[in-house]
Amino acid sequence: MTKQAFITINELKKMNFRNIILGLTLAIGLASCESLDVEPEGFYSDENFYKSIEDAEASILYAYDALTLVSYAPITFYLTELASDNCIVKPDEGADAQQFVNWEVSSQNDLLLQFYRSAYIAINRANAVIENVEGRGFNEADEKRLLGEALFLRAYNHFNVVKAFGLAPLQRSLIDRLDETTAVLPANMEEVYNFLIEDLTTAIDYLEVNRVAGRADKVAAQALLAKVYLFAASAKESGVPNYNAISESVDNLYAKAAEYSGAVLNNQVEYYHDTNLQNIYDVNAPNGPEHIFILSMDRSGTKEGDYSKLSKYFIPWIGGATVYLRNTDDSFSATHDGWGVFQTTDDLYTSYEVDDKRRNELLVSEVYDENGTSLGTIGDGTVQYPFTRKFIDPEFEGDKTSTRPYLIRYSDIQLVYAEATANNEGLEHYNMIRRRAGVSELSSITDVNQFRNLVVEERQRELAFEGDRLWDLRRKNMVQSQVFQAAGLSPNAVSFYPIPQREIDLNPNIN
Amino acid sequence: MNKRNRIKFLASVMFILGLTTLNAQIKVSGIVTDEGGVPLPGANVIEQGTTNGTTTDFDGRFALTVNGKTSKLELTYIGYLPQLIAVENNTNFNIVLKEDIASLDEVVVVGYGSVKKSDLTGSVASVDMDDIPARPANSVDGLLQGQVAGVQVTSASDDPGAGAVIRIRGGSSLRGGNDPLVVVDGFPIGTAGDLKQISPQDIASMEVLKDASASAIYGSRGANGVIMITTKKGSRNTTEVTVSQQNTFSSFTSDLNLWRDPALMAELSNESRINGGFVPLYIGSEDANGVYYPSLSELKNNAWPYYTKWDDVVFRDPVSNNTNLAVRSQTDRTQFSLSATYYTNEGVYIEDDYNKLNLNLNVTHKLFEDKVTVGANVIYSKGKQNNNGDLAYWRNPIFPVYEDNDPTKDYFLVGVQDFSHPIALTENRSNETRFLDLISSAYVDVQLLPSLKFKTQLNYKYGRSINEFYNPKIYTLDGTFNNGSGGISNWDSHETVAESFLTFDKLFNEKHKVTAMGGVSYQYYQANTSNLRAFDFLNESLGSGNLASGNPEQQSVSNSLTETVLYSGLGRFNYTYDDKYLVTFTMRADGSSKFGANNQWAYFPSGALGWKLHNEKFIENLNVFDQLKLRASLGISGNQGISPYLINSRYGQDQYYVNGRWQTTIGPGYAVGQDSQTGKFIWGGIPNPDLKWETTRQFNIGADFSFFKRRLNVTLDYYNKYTDDLLRERLISPSSSYDRMWVNDGEIENRGIEITLDGKLINNDDWGVNGTFIFSKNENEVVSLGNALSSGLNTDALTGMQYEFSGSTVEAFRAVPNILAVGQPINVFYGYKVNGIVQSEADGLASGLTGDLAHPGEFKYVDLNEDGVIDEGDRTIIGDPNPDFSASLNLQFRYKKFDASLFFNGTFGQDIFNTKRFSEPNNIPLRWTQDNLTNNYPSLRDGRNLLMSDWFIEKGSFVRLQNLTIGYNLDLPNLFKRGRIFVNGTNLFTITDFEGYDPEIGENGIYWGGYPRLRNWTLGVEFTF
Repeated sequence: MTKQAFITINELKKMNFRNIILGLTLAIGLASCESLDVEPEGFYSDENFYKSIEDAEASILYAYDALTLVSYAPITFYLTELASDNCIVKPDEGADAQQFVNWEVSSQNDLLLQFYRSAYIAINRANAVIENVEGRGFNEADEKRLLGEALFLRAYNHFNVVKAFGLAPLQRSLIDRLDETTAVLPANMEEVYNFLIEDLTTAIDYLEVNRVAGRADKVAAQALLAKVYLFAASAKESGVPNYNAISESVDNLYAKAAEYSGAVLNNQVEYYHDTNLQNIYDVNAPNGPEHIFILSMDRSGTKEGDYSKLSKYFIPWIGGATVYLRNTDDSFSATHDGWGVFQTTDDLYTSYEVDDKRRNELLVSEVYDENGTSLGTIGDGTVQYPFTRKFIDPEFEGDKTSTRPYLIRYSDIQLVYAEATANNEGLEHYNMIRRRAGVSELSSITDVNQFRNLVVEERQRELAFEGDRLWDLRRKNMVQSQVFQAAGLSPNAVSFYPIPQREIDLNPNIN
Repeated sequence: MNKRNRIKFLASVMFILGLTTLNAQIKVSGIVTDEGGVPLPGANVIEQGTTNGTTTDFDGRFALTVNGKTSKLELTYIGYLPQLIAVENNTNFNIVLKEDIASLDEVVVVGYGSVKKSDLTGSVASVDMDDIPARPANSVDGLLQGQVAGVQVTSASDDPGAGAVIRIRGGSSLRGGNDPLVVVDGFPIGTAGDLKQISPQDIASMEVLKDASASAIYGSRGANGVIMITTKKGSRNTTEVTVSQQNTFSSFTSDLNLWRDPALMAELSNESRINGGFVPLYIGSEDANGVYYPSLSELKNNAWPYYTKWDDVVFRDPVSNNTNLAVRSQTDRTQFSLSATYYTNEGVYIEDDYNKLNLNLNVTHKLFEDKVTVGANVIYSKGKQNNNGDLAYWRNPIFPVYEDNDPTKDYFLVGVQDFSHPIALTENRSNETRFLDLISSAYVDVQLLPSLKFKTQLNYKYGRSINEFYNPKIYTLDGTFNNGSGGISNWDSHETVAESFLTFDKLFNEKHKVTAMGGVSYQYYQANTSNLRAFDFLNESLGSGNLASGNPEQQSVSNSLTETVLYSGLGRFNYTYDDKYLVTFTMRADGSSKFGANNQWAYFPSGALGWKLHNEKFIENLNVFDQLKLRASLGISGNQGISPYLINSRYGQDQYYVNGRWQTTIGPGYAVGQDSQTGKFIWGGIPNPDLKWETTRQFNIGADFSFFKRRLNVTLDYYNKYTDDLLRERLISPSSSYDRMWVNDGEIENRGIEITLDGKLINNDDWGVNGTFIFSKNENEVVSLGNALSSGLNTDALTGMQYEFSGSTVEAFRAVPNILAVGQPINVFYGYKVNGIVQSEADGLASGLTGDLAHPGEFKYVDLNEDGVIDEGDRTIIGDPNPDFSASLNLQFRYKKFDASLFFNGTFGQDIFNTKRFSEPNNIPLRWTQDNLTNNYPSLRDGRNLLMSDWFIEKGSFVRLQNLTIGYNLDLPNLFKRGRIFVNGTNLFTITDFEGYDPEIGENGIYWGGYPRLRNWTLGVEFTF
């Protein structure tokens, strides 16, 4: 090779090649010194969110949205209705579901895990609002409303956890790092209830009466606090394990329950006793006077959780077709049939008096075709069991419905008040419920304890399929006597579900 | 400058500087052969000092008119020593070119450079595309099947656009991807398996970088090996136009296994339902959906008017077409190549069509006395697919296509929930995908000093795909559920790679050869998606053409944006002493935006040693070896196949219905997916600042031998590939509100042997016989799956083995067939053992079975843990889908102008889980009955809870005549320079014991049935002018 074949340094200089090369190399070299952080532009994170009141609004709605999760809303009924004397499960449902009916729920139960972690998902979303709204310079009214709702939701979900599991972690702050994921157990029920009560009293303080279907307001917070106090009062009174640790006396707890439920009944006009039984369960009337706190789902949603399939769980399979239900005015309402997952027990059915409207109008024993011709009854086996009309959407679209879980009803708080006060004022509310159902009223209270037990019985009939029965049985320490499958189990076993095994495996602070 | 270029350079210089002498013109001709008498086609014959020249034809012949007797012929041919021959009085020449032993070595492309094959210290295999017979292929990387030891190529589908699965030395990742990196002309364009943009006709060679010494230069993307593709450039010293045309005719390799006797089908269906306690279907009445099913006697007495061969309705014998036109040219300074390919591919389903157009333009130009080379390469690919697959060929033959079998009437639907009518779907549903790809690069290559070269290359890739579909209100599930459903999905991506590097190459004191390369690289990737969805259509006639006719309240929009950045510094140092001892070091540092703040930079070193024993006197004196080289290498490469943003906290987004409308909700925790086993959302979004690449440490030792004047070449390699920091998801305590987080936890080992035997058995004027035999054996073991608790591992009750399920549930068995188990190969099968069939109640009870399981005709499950019940504790490992070894044999024959090649490919020892072993028309009749007390098949019983058992496991070993090509080279010099016609058959026959259609299935070894594979016959012609 001759030397001329190559560029000399001089030529190079002339051509500015070296500069170009140096430039290129430097440019790339310099670029390398730049940060490797790529700002996420396709999604939100703690770096680019909570900039405005709209962000905060979206965040509180995300916390409500957690309640609609398929792993939460429907699963609640497995825990509360199947394990109580209200429902049994369809025979070919999975083993995890059978465990609830048979009172063999193990720490490995997947449905239990779903419920547990969903409650904490809702709690963490509430905590995100609590941590990020204060001090952002939003106007005070908005800030209080958002904080109040978030505190309500944190308490609501913690209360679910406490009712289901007893002593389980209390999440007081947002979790967004791995080292924050090993929560400790609360020391005792005193700590748990103080936390719930504090959240709810603050929420009551921050919130106004402001009805929005699917959201909570001051009345919802008062109602929930009344339920918290009632649970504590009756559980301590009935000797439920761990509840002895609550220092407040049983009487004082009942008094507090009476105070807050009384506030719901007497201090506002937005919510009131609906004398029309059908109206309460009208899928198109979520703003009815009864609904202090109702979950919001709508058939126009695009995925389960946005729309609801609750109807499918409660209605039996009737050939896969559209069936019609006879209304009290002899008109007919259409519905799809269901999967028959939650099947009404005879216990529940026979707990109603024969002329109880809640049996005759709300439990279905015969279905019709679109012309009003009977397709069959319980008797001929067409309808497998008497099913509830509380979750019926005549405007269903395929499997999609707007059927919503009733989270806190006015009637519920009336019965809370009756049980807490056990006086004549309470008796009147108890009788309002019975009057509406078309059954005989009680003229007077002869014995406080006996009356309280009557209220609990009434609660079963009034709030059947609404996800409260097991909690009533638990706080009254009546699981063993009322649910034959639970007979002979230890007080701990009937009072609390086991903490899910995954939590025990992964959290060194819990064992 | 390597030898090849030097020769070219010299040739060009002489070409230009030559003098012309005046002489009486004479015509000379001749033949150019090698020392063995084999003609050398394409050799350059130039009259010295002129621009007058030609190349030899296929038979090595040339004819040239020269200026006179004093002219001299300059002969050059790659790999041979140049010759200068005086014309004098000869007009006919027999020219024998001597092999240039030094340059006999092909130059092999490695990362950021090239190296003589004999100087390789790592394990690199080179495939010259001229050696691979032309055959139809969707993805060109699939052409590597059976060509390279240690490279396993599986193509499990014949569907249009289907890719291949390519594994180099086994899979070393569970969640990070196992596809090798593909580099096209220096541009790392992504992972292998679906390389549609390049036509086989445009590829000159493919190199496979297997060991760490070779692949570590690609750092965090090198762990799965690297496939380097070099496209064709301009042809030498001439302009060539090549036209090729291939037509492929395909048909099933076997008959479909469908019910041809409806009466038997009905009888067995009734038997099955009765045994299961159900009302039989074929009793001459309507079922729950109001569909009339004829009785057995109606079917047997031919009283039933309908019989539909649905496979004839649904399938066709597809014809595919591949047309290529290429112009390639080279002058002394500029070379240029333009190639256009039009490819249409019919799927086996009616109207399941695919077509694409590929353009490939390549230009290089030399400047400043050839000291500077600039080049550009553009690949443009555009295509369209009409998706009409998965039609129901399995429909019940007793139902007609149309009501009353009358094509003027409506489609015959089996109830309102019938969503599988193939003609209704074909005619009413639409689903079309259009795609466009651009791969481009430009470079400047500067010879700064005789020993120093600078190269900078800028690459840009753009990809776009649009899918449009419409599901009508009837005939489709989605459309019925949503009252019409349509959507458009857009995806596009941009990738920019800028790389600059300096190469120093010098021989000191005749003995010390040093090559050093150092450079930097920057990569930016961006992907955008957007989805438009509409439901509840007012008017269906426009389908997805007018999504606005969907219900305005139900329209939905979603989109995403992903960006990643990768910065790298890289270098390689080669030192050769006396052409005997070779040392290579490479190093790469990668900084990736995907890595967590605590692990942002990764370092990948490698080193290798080589010893050319054949250059040692004591070996030379043996006179046995033409080549004897030992190689050893050790190095680290990585796999960064993780999604970006796992290091960021990530909020989720949903909607909640408030005040009569849907409102957007946003907050911490987002649904990263759905659990494959329970379908429940998995919540993630918690960042892992420690997240990093997977690290693969690979040791390789190898030897290259050549004997008998290089007629027999042997390459041996042993490797051990150990991967740790496996990307996996760990579980998080549920009280934290998160389910999972990505971590590096887990280890896998692959070790194996590769043998390549390459023999040129006969090579003379008339005859040529070459053979290549390739053997690969890979053993794979899951060494660790990380912390048992945080990984959520299960424990095998019998052995204490820790495992997790891998993949999704197979519905028919309500089980996940594959597991990842510590100490076992990836994806072994896990299930029950079956010991024949229960013949009688007494037999069942005696075998320790109880209840339903003890009934006659049931599977006789083995109570492995001897606890008296058959339950999950009785499961064990029942098979391994990984092959023991694979082998291939490539034979090439040449007789005069005919040539033929045969390619056998086989894999051995893998197990297949045949989910269809008792559900197809050919095996159902073999059932157990009281009259057929077989031990091979159970009774028919609807509603049986099938358990995943070894009864469904079969041996999947097979040998296949994958390819046969017979060609004839036309010699019509007046018409064209070279011409060739050929017939090519693929998938001609398969030897296997497997009972299903075909044993070549996906990596997890699950066989789903379906339909037979295709046998393809291709007729091709190719002319070069």
